Amino acid sequence: MNIEINGPKVFYTFPFDIPILGRLQISETLVVSWIVMLIITLLCIWLTHNLKVENISKRQAFAEMLVETADNFVIGNMGEKFKNLVPFVAALFATSLVSNLISLVGLRSPTADLNTEAAWAVVVFIMITTQKIKTGGFGGYLKGFTQPIPVMTPFNVLSELATPISLACRHFGNILSGIVINGLIYAALAVASSALLGLIPGAVGLFLSHVPILDVGIPAVLSVYFDWFTGVMQAYIFCMLTTMYIANAAEE
Amino acid sequence: MAEHQELVTLIPWTFIAQILNLFIQMLLIKKFLFKPIREVLEKRKAKADSVISEATKTKEEAEAMKAEYEENIAAARDKASDILANAQKTATLKSEEIIKEASEAAISMKAKAERDIEQEKRKAVNEIKDEIGNMAMEIAGKVIEREISEEDHTKLIDEFIEKVGEV
Repeated sequence: MNIEINGPKVFYTFPFDIPILGRLQISETLVVSWIVMLIITLLCIWLTHNLKVENISKRQAFAEMLVETADNFVIGNMGEKFKNLVPFVAALFATSLVSNLISLVGLRSPTADLNTEAAWAVVVFIMITTQKIKTGGFGGYLKGFTQPIPVMTPFNVLSELATPISLACRHFGNILSGIVINGLIYAALAVASSALLGLIPGAVGLFLSHVPILDVGIPAVLSVYFDWFTGVMQAYIFCMLTTMYIANAAEE
Repeated sequence: MAEHQELVTLIPWTFIAQILNLFIQMLLIKKFLFKPIREVLEKRKAKADSVISEATKTKEEAEAMKAEYEENIAAARDKASDILANAQKTATLKSEEIIKEASEAAISMKAKAERDIEQEKRKAVNEIKDEIGNMAMEIAGKVIEREISEEDHTKLIDEFIEKVGEV
């Protein structure tokens, strides 16, 4: 039995080349990203329609709880002065979470494409660097690489670059490994059920051995860890690290 | 079968699109979740603040009113006791005055009565003296049978009265 783990499908490639950047492709990643954005936005609109000052509904209480949780998360990790970063972190978390969990309905997670995480990591890296330059000035930022001794400079540059790379690869690796393991489990369970049911003699066994009966139910149990837990965890870790890095960059 | 991109690869346009998607998502979340919720939270806070400040104001007013009432009551009580004390004092003074006046009047009346009695007594005595004098003169005139001058007359009377007084 062969297992094939493929990258995202490419639905349409524009038939012209743009210099340097290459061809414009509409891939599964982008389409599912738009679906994710649509889901989040519709959810926000649904949560915030018909808001009241008094005597609020459970829906509104939940929406307020979300906003307060986001506020507490960002302000708790970074301090009051980063209050305007709350929507960014919230968007990062929501997109990451919904992207991770959308694989549960059979769509391919946009986060199973390195482009997505690389894009986020680069944005975060630019924010970190901007914050560092804002805090210590451009000279202070450059000087920071020679701390504590000038010999350390190459390592400091390397660790600086490792930040976005590790950020992106950690998230991508976890989600991709979830997909790979899920694929393996489905295939392995199909083989196992075919072997098990093949033990039944005659035509019945021959027929039943083609029905991967073990694929029903068991992968759902495993997906509690590989999809739900990893999906929530990685979204949380990504946001946590983002806030931590930016808050660290703001320290003198 | 659709074409697949490689499993681990960076495609510039997808990369850029995902950056844009993240920022669009941020704006959407900001517009549709954070803005309305913050507005409603702000409104609720303002409302709670206004209710609290109104309650505080009302309480202050009530306390001021209470203090005023208490002050008024105390003032009224003071005034009442003042009035009472004044009235008592006035009454005492008045009664003392009345008693004094009455006793004075009594004394003066008594004095007057005594004076009157004295006067009456003296008058009576004088009348008696005159009567006696006249009688004596008549008797004497009859005795002596001659007219006496006025001067002698008086002299005689005085002598007589002195004698009578001695008696």
